[in-house]
Amino acid sequence: MTERPESDALVLDAAEGISAEPITQWDLFVTRLRRHRLATIAFFYMAFIAYVALMAPLFTCEKNDVFCGRQPVSMSFVTTVIMLIIAAGSLYLTYRSFRSGLRGAGVALGAVGLVSVLFLVSSWGLVDIPHINHYADQLPDDSGRILVNIAPRGSLPLGTDDLGRDVLSRVIHGGRASLAVGIVVGSLVALLGTVVGSLAGYYPGVVDQSLMRFTDLMLGLPLLPVAIVVGRVLPELRFLPDFLKQGAWGIAVLLGVLVWGSLARIVRAEFLSLREKEFVEAARAAGANDRRIIFRHILPNAISPIIVQTTLVVGTAIIIEAALSFLGFGVRPPIPTWGGMASSGAAIAVRGFWWELVFSAGALISTVLAINFMGDGLRDALDPTQTIERK
Amino acid sequence: MAEHLLDVEDLRTYFSTEEGVVKAVDGVSFKVKAGERRGVVGESGCGKSVTAMSIMRLIEPPAGEIVTGTIQFDGRDLLKLSEAEMQDVRGGEIAMIFQDPMTALNPVYTIGDQLIETILLHQDVSKSEARNIAITALDDVQIPYAKNRMEDYPHQFSGGMRQRVMIAMGLSCEPKLLIADEPTTALDVTTQAQIMSLMLDLAEERNTAVLLITHDLGVVAGFCDTIQVMYAGTIVERGTGDEIFYNPQHPYTWGLLGSMTRLDESQQDRLNSVRGAPPSLIAPPRGCRFGPRCDFATDICREALPILHQSQEGQKVACHRASELDLKSLTVGVSS
Repeated sequence: MTERPESDALVLDAAEGISAEPITQWDLFVTRLRRHRLATIAFFYMAFIAYVALMAPLFTCEKNDVFCGRQPVSMSFVTTVIMLIIAAGSLYLTYRSFRSGLRGAGVALGAVGLVSVLFLVSSWGLVDIPHINHYADQLPDDSGRILVNIAPRGSLPLGTDDLGRDVLSRVIHGGRASLAVGIVVGSLVALLGTVVGSLAGYYPGVVDQSLMRFTDLMLGLPLLPVAIVVGRVLPELRFLPDFLKQGAWGIAVLLGVLVWGSLARIVRAEFLSLREKEFVEAARAAGANDRRIIFRHILPNAISPIIVQTTLVVGTAIIIEAALSFLGFGVRPPIPTWGGMASSGAAIAVRGFWWELVFSAGALISTVLAINFMGDGLRDALDPTQTIERK
Repeated sequence: MAEHLLDVEDLRTYFSTEEGVVKAVDGVSFKVKAGERRGVVGESGCGKSVTAMSIMRLIEPPAGEIVTGTIQFDGRDLLKLSEAEMQDVRGGEIAMIFQDPMTALNPVYTIGDQLIETILLHQDVSKSEARNIAITALDDVQIPYAKNRMEDYPHQFSGGMRQRVMIAMGLSCEPKLLIADEPTTALDVTTQAQIMSLMLDLAEERNTAVLLITHDLGVVAGFCDTIQVMYAGTIVERGTGDEIFYNPQHPYTWGLLGSMTRLDESQQDRLNSVRGAPPSLIAPPRGCRFGPRCDFATDICREALPILHQSQEGQKVACHRASELDLKSLTVGVSS
């Protein structure tokens, strides 16, 4: 961002106790984030989960027959383009990371880049890459019997469920539902909650009153029953595009428009206090209009609570989606979700077949935890007034 | 163009509260010439800041409202402008500096960003030109290594430096009028002096009119050409610095001067004060508003509100007994 020239001015600056090294805001951001060890780990973990879940269809067999194992990848044109972008982008960022001394990020990004290149090369038929079993297909043994409730072992590291399906494959594919819910709910909540909260907090009177009474109404809705009822009705609605009727997208959008209330309240409270600050008055006295004051002067100051609350809500939404699936109202089988697997896993866990429950619930819990840690770390890292001293 | 840069006529700004209507500014009229430095002094809650906010039209309804009056600025009535036109005036033609520099800068943007934003808002220049203007502005307020400090955040600046930045921001668009609302109250005494002399130099250099609001008479003395004393939402005395300081006509002005700590006069046991507290602005006392606190009040003071009139001494004063009293020869505190 800033290139400070080498001159004796710098010496004087340093003498005044002012840092003269060219530290950019990005450097500070990264330094603060790295100091948050849990958040750093959470970032890498979430990146890993997201990448694997995103790429899952590429390395999954279409049928669990004898040929499943090493295969070339088949990719559509669009996927190929996306993969090229991911590969080029992550390799460039790897270079940048190593140059700025971020070895961990460099290794992680390098791995992403190399794996992406591997996918590309494989799609041209040059390399076979190992595939995982199909998530909804039963696994037969050599004699054609279904491998039901197999405990984790070498070839089936997470075992099979009571219908003889590969738990590893199901955990990986189940992440796609949680990821969809996380992304959609996160964006919707951040958008709706921030807009409603900002307007209510900035414009007192009628706007505030009507928006907040509506927010109260949303907060008053019993989430699970409403989600169950609407979730049941969704697939019947003709006018909805197909992708909202199947899979996790419909549930994700539904949860997103239901759970923004808490963020709206927090943003409103932030605005109420920030709008009385003198720098807002000063901005107005300098001729800024309402839009500029809201978006440029107040909102950036409210970003910490927005990030923290959004990540908390995303975590909650993933759990609610899991609860819906657990109760059998979420994503329809045979598409796996962590909640659904926990449900069927719980039923067989009492008979000693613990692995489906443990691995699905473990994936769910660790993901939600990681999201919360990420929010924590981001909040601290985004605060420009925080000093970077070692504790 | 009108003879005067700013011509405020019968300004009344009221706030509605649960206890009743607070008449914060109640019939204030004054004129400021281009390049004139006008001091506005008075106790807390006498309507100084509300007058300034009214000129900037920063009084927010429904809490507060400018009930009547005209504010002619450079030939236009500011009260008749649309909000969008007013936004061009704010910061562009009238700039304002606030009391507390610690909170008047946005903590999440660099000093440079904030300066550039204000410049881009009011001047038709490119981003890099705005940057150069900003650096010059910082140079003008004597921020060392202005170019490097552009990238710093407000928390990396001291209070005095921040107030300099505010001044730089205020003057960057070359306004015709600068309203400084107690610009040195939050600063220590040595910094105060630096800031005031800096403002004096810059205002003189650019012929910027300044409306300096303060309760510190010492700050006003060296800075202002003319002074108006406000009390309970009205102007009670107005004149040149010499007139006000050496020949006060209003008992309130006289009391304020008497309550100053001075190094050049013999030590007294106790510092004098104007006894009592400012009256309620919801139901001001009958007659002269200063009456209940005035050592010289008579029957007429309790009956009729004195209006601002030309006194024999040159300044304008709102006191029934101004011509009878010879305040200059009295030592404060004698009669109380």
